[in-house]
Amino acid sequence: MSPSTIALSQRILAWLMPPAQAEALLGDLLEERRLRLQAGSQVSVAGWYWRQLASSVPVLLWASVRRGAWLITVVTAVASYIAAAGIQFVLLYALSPMTTSMSVREVVALLSFAAALAACGYVAASIRPGAARLLAFLAFAETCAMLAIGTRAPLWFGGSLLVLGPAAAIAGAALSGRWRTG
Amino acid sequence: MPRGDFLGSLELMVMLAVMRLGTDAYGMTVRREIEERTGREISIGAVYATLERLEAKGYVSSFTGEPTAERGGRAKRHFEIEAAGHAALSASQNALKNMSEGLGRRWKRA
Repeated sequence: MSPSTIALSQRILAWLMPPAQAEALLGDLLEERRLRLQAGSQVSVAGWYWRQLASSVPVLLWASVRRGAWLITVVTAVASYIAAAGIQFVLLYALSPMTTSMSVREVVALLSFAAALAACGYVAASIRPGAARLLAFLAFAETCAMLAIGTRAPLWFGGSLLVLGPAAAIAGAALSGRWRTG
Repeated sequence: MPRGDFLGSLELMVMLAVMRLGTDAYGMTVRREIEERTGREISIGAVYATLERLEAKGYVSSFTGEPTAERGGRAKRHFEIEAAGHAALSASQNALKNMSEGLGRRWKRA
């Protein structure tokens, strides 16, 4: 089995379970896979492996919801997103008297939102690494919704926000050093 | 025993598998034991989720073994039944026995 397949399985399981349990489960899968290879073909055993993993995801997902891990992650991400919006509002309010130009204001709005998302991404990742990923997704989804609805903002603004928002949240999380740990 | 503490069917099977396997009870062996004895296909995730639930109830406990090469250097998580687990197993078995008692002929028809 290729290292990339194992790494992918590891990533899926680490997302759903505490690290020690995920490692034990992956070890079980690899051990049984090895046993099955003595009697079956590579293709059938690979099929078994992925069926096991795929059928495990819903039940582990439900177990993680019961554990409350998801709730904390979602609450942290949503709270971080609201905080980022609040910080951006304060920054815009403080900086707006300095210029009357619309395009300068849009650049300020873009940069202040990115800075706020980076700061909140840092905090969210420190609480729960998964929350920073969800924060990046929220920033992306909100911009997509904004573009789909159609606002008065120019296209370059929406396009930049689409890239800069999630990137800022990821950068903040990376700075905390916890982007990939959970 | 409180009314809600009877074991569910998967919980019962997992507990019995852990009991059968003794010191060799860990995720993979529990899964295989259930599959071999019942013919019921079960995912390793379902086994772990059930064991986690049973551990939270205090029916089983776990400890980490040594990492082995055939597992890619990953350690096994062994399980054993606790006293509360034995009590829960007995209560569930007794409940099933009492419910099925005297159903002889009707049982055959079903």
